[in-house]
Amino acid sequence: MAAPVAARLAEQARLLLRDGRAEEALPMLDRLLHLGVPGTAALRAEAMLLLRRLEEAETAADAALEECADAAMRGLRARIRLARGDQAGAVDDAAAAVMAKPGDRPARLLLASALLEAGRHDEAIWFLGEAWRAEPGNATLQLRLGQAFLRAGRYEAASELFTHCEAASPWTPGVAALRAQAALLAGDAGAAADLARAALARGIVDGAVHSVLAHALVNLGRLEEAGPHFAAAARLAPDDPYIAHLAAAAAGTATGRAPEGYVTALFDGYAAHFEPALLSLGYRVPGLIRRAVERLRPQAMTEGLGPVLDLGCGTGLVGVALSDLLRAPLVGVDLSRRMLDQAAAKGLYAELRPADLTEALRRDEGAYALVTAADVFCYFGLLEAPLTLCRERLAPGGLLLFSLECAGPGEAWRLGPEGRYRHAPDYVAAAAAAAGLRLLECRPEALRRDGEATVPGLLVAAEALVH
Amino acid sequence: MPATDCATDEAAATEQGAWRAGLALLAGGDAAAALPLLRQAAAAGEGGGLALLNLGLALMQLGRLEEAEAPLARAAAMLPGHPEPPFRLATLAGLRGEADRAARLLLAALASDPGHVPALAALAMLEEGAGRLEAASALIARARMIDPAEPELDVVAARLALARDEPGAALDAASRVLARRPAHLAAARLLARAWLRRDGMAAAQAGIAARAMAEPEAAGWAIAAAELHALAGRPGAALAELRAALALAPETTELQAALGATLAEAGRDAEAEPLLRAAIAAHPGELDLRNRLATVLWTSHRVSAMLEVLEEAIRAFGPQPILLLNQALALNALGEQQAALAAAEQAVAHPAGGVEALITRMAVQPYHPEHGHAAALLESGRAVAARLGPAAAPPARPRDPERRLRIGLLSGGLGRHPVGWLTLAGLEALPETGFELVAYSLKPRQDALASRFRARATLWREVGALEDAAIAAQMVEDGIDLLLDLGGYGDGGRPGVLQRRPAPVQVKWVGMQNGSMGLDGIDWMLTDAWETPPGFERFYAERLLRLPDGYVCYLPPAVAPPVAPLPAMARGHVTFGCFNNLAKVTPRVLQAWGRILGALPEAQLVLRTHALAEPATRERLRARMVVAGLPVERVTLAGGVPHQRLLAAYGEVDIALDPLSLCRRPHGLRGALDGGAGGGARR
Repeated sequence: MAAPVAARLAEQARLLLRDGRAEEALPMLDRLLHLGVPGTAALRAEAMLLLRRLEEAETAADAALEECADAAMRGLRARIRLARGDQAGAVDDAAAAVMAKPGDRPARLLLASALLEAGRHDEAIWFLGEAWRAEPGNATLQLRLGQAFLRAGRYEAASELFTHCEAASPWTPGVAALRAQAALLAGDAGAAADLARAALARGIVDGAVHSVLAHALVNLGRLEEAGPHFAAAARLAPDDPYIAHLAAAAAGTATGRAPEGYVTALFDGYAAHFEPALLSLGYRVPGLIRRAVERLRPQAMTEGLGPVLDLGCGTGLVGVALSDLLRAPLVGVDLSRRMLDQAAAKGLYAELRPADLTEALRRDEGAYALVTAADVFCYFGLLEAPLTLCRERLAPGGLLLFSLECAGPGEAWRLGPEGRYRHAPDYVAAAAAAAGLRLLECRPEALRRDGEATVPGLLVAAEALVH
Repeated sequence: MPATDCATDEAAATEQGAWRAGLALLAGGDAAAALPLLRQAAAAGEGGGLALLNLGLALMQLGRLEEAEAPLARAAAMLPGHPEPPFRLATLAGLRGEADRAARLLLAALASDPGHVPALAALAMLEEGAGRLEAASALIARARMIDPAEPELDVVAARLALARDEPGAALDAASRVLARRPAHLAAARLLARAWLRRDGMAAAQAGIAARAMAEPEAAGWAIAAAELHALAGRPGAALAELRAALALAPETTELQAALGATLAEAGRDAEAEPLLRAAIAAHPGELDLRNRLATVLWTSHRVSAMLEVLEEAIRAFGPQPILLLNQALALNALGEQQAALAAAEQAVAHPAGGVEALITRMAVQPYHPEHGHAAALLESGRAVAARLGPAAAPPARPRDPERRLRIGLLSGGLGRHPVGWLTLAGLEALPETGFELVAYSLKPRQDALASRFRARATLWREVGALEDAAIAAQMVEDGIDLLLDLGGYGDGGRPGVLQRRPAPVQVKWVGMQNGSMGLDGIDWMLTDAWETPPGFERFYAERLLRLPDGYVCYLPPAVAPPVAPLPAMARGHVTFGCFNNLAKVTPRVLQAWGRILGALPEAQLVLRTHALAEPATRERLRARMVVAGLPVERVTLAGGVPHQRLLAAYGEVDIALDPLSLCRRPHGLRGALDGGAGGGARR
């Protein structure tokens, strides 16, 4: 290809990317790539990031960095890694970009975002605070700082920033929802609902406002009122599996299990405060599992347990409950990387796998003395398939322990409006039998508190049927 | 251009000055410079009929088709037996849609020169247009025997082969063209269609992609890929490929035209306009390009510029319905209601006017000071109904009492648009427990109001690109219980969907609700006692369902500027204002304003609307004001501003004036809503 043609293609592709029109640049980039024109990989990485084709974006960014390892390219790869959920990688790249150009504000803000996603809240807050102090009229920066406080669990500071931001620039996108969310996370569902309703009345159109309002109404026990707001939130964010699942749950249009995207989003959002929140709710399942082991496998108290598979391990509470009994590897599986980061910090797990439960069980070839699933099957309606997969992973004499939320007899299973499935004891027995399991126990237990009431559940113990 | 071939042939035929110099310039491609010399030569009788012939050719080359006819006709009379004059006259006739006359002239040219390849090709295209594919193919075969190297003959051969369902032959012919002209638009498109027909979409795409990588500098493969994307309903990807094609072959004016049209289709008018203008300059004989440019100017509120393009096209191509329809819309938006309706009537009377002409008449007639009354509108609506044919039977589907009532909304205005402002509050008030809303959006919109519609609608379907039948079928499949039409005969209105009767109950509400739609496919109209006072039933094909407190559910803007103190207190004189579109400003309105300003010698008048941003439109309006006796020096004409600023601009006037022409509609409100004149420009 004549050089002027290549230069023209590259120039036009660059202009299109500048305008955010990545799709329109693709045929030009394909030709440039095919011809090996230098600089194409960087353009391609940017285009793929804009198109959310993240794996291809990172590959292109890697290639571009081989060509030329400058600060801008490190910054671009940081953004790609951030989008892919590789927080540690994003921090590395963003930090390198800042070190190469210490005065570069966008690079410092990118580092702040990466630190925030990596759970390094204090460092993120430091960078964001520095940026906001330099530009106190910048509502976007103020909002990001507030979000960082929110993530760090410092609700009061977050709320103060959001309130100030909303007073100064009431139409800043997202501020109304964040202010209501801060109230909700601080435990004041009534105030959250009031704030969200006021925002809607002002003509703010934001799926997040509907979502916070719906969550607040659920917290207040006003499930019927929540339904239309879950629906509105889902309609405004049609690609969000988390909200779609909740909308389906509220409308009673249940599917066989909660989508993977829902569970990931749910627990990624929870990770930082999961344990304190659960403990404050009087969460009992890890303790119930521990006691079931004591009851059903008393020899473990002296000899210890063989290999343990902890499905939906979350932040590792089951690992903590069993920690003195572990003599063999403890393997944790969870969809949420952020949860796994918290579990890893406990130093109890030999291996932590970021994976979907069924996928992980299919790939696993191990044989476990104990398989646990604490608060996991509340994201499944039908239990036959996952229970079969669990049974296949039990070593001879192995024990399966799991918790469920309780549905009324004869209901089999149903999706509750808060997005979790409930199961009836007779259905559990039938599903266990179909999965080749012998039920040892199916004990009614209170799982945790919900407001003034407790959540009724089942603690189920089973082992493989021997033919 | 063959004109120069002809000029070169004849160059030796004369020794005279202006004639020779003019011919040389024309042969060199400078038609504009040649024109005065050729005129001079023709007037002096130089070159026999050849000066006249070349004058005609120069005028055609410059796109001045209407002026070319006379010298060509004189040349034909002076040069009997010369094939060029009848051939050129045939070209003009063809551009004007006069197929029979074109055919006669082409046969005359071929009688003079049986080997005249362009005449054979043109005749083949006329046969093709009439569906006589075998005759067309035979003519092309004959032409190719004479001139086997001419790629345009292969293009026609490819098209004919495809029409005969011989994709292999079409593929061969198109490939031959691309081998010689790698950026040939028509050939690349035909190649894509032939490949698709022969091997299916996946194979065609893979094949074309492979060729594109093998020859990355050839624009044709990008064009072919664009064609496949467009056929598969992926306009974004098609646009991307066309961009790549133009980057590879930036001088190709056909590609500029194609990309311009695609950008216009995507609503990206600012990018489309320069491409279309460049393409028109290179292809003055393309009616579609001119009309496309007119629609781009329409959506950017440049109505005077639109009218100029259309009038020039009408002069060049004759009064073709598509041009007349858009001319009617432009004139109406300029406030020239009588001329607008006259243009629409001319289109209706045209044999090729069709239902489009009748629908456009419905878009402009309500604004006409004399013919916009309810009885006349009913009559015009019934004419649309008669053309569309009787409404289909309602779907025989019992209503499930257990299910929520499913309401379909058909409109292009589900967002920041008068339809949005006047319906959303009512729709949001319908409880979710009892009503499901399904939106059939005819125009994608991204704004706060559009989001509120989305938040309320259970199901959202963008159907603007679909045919009427497909939309109706989707509604039947969706099980719509009640269809609300919110478009009427306005921008993107779809009376054809309503006549297919996809829902058991169909209701007209808001959206060009000027009078009856005249359709038997609509059961009810939501109205009120002001819009349709008692006794008006006889002017409506619909049954009138009168709401007690006004038929619209107005949604005030989320944030409105505070009411300002009266400007007159500071200025010492009254300022009147009218922010309505000019379609509502009739001669009677201007006269009334003239009387008001005459009675108050200090008073001022401010008119503000999008169309007035254009200097030519301001001049046209000033001229009408002078005729109506308005003191123009006391009238300020200003262009449109975003909604918030429009509301704030009311703070600059003491008294808002309501136009008089449409007394049974909420005009004052319309002014505040920044509403546009009805009707969407036809592409």
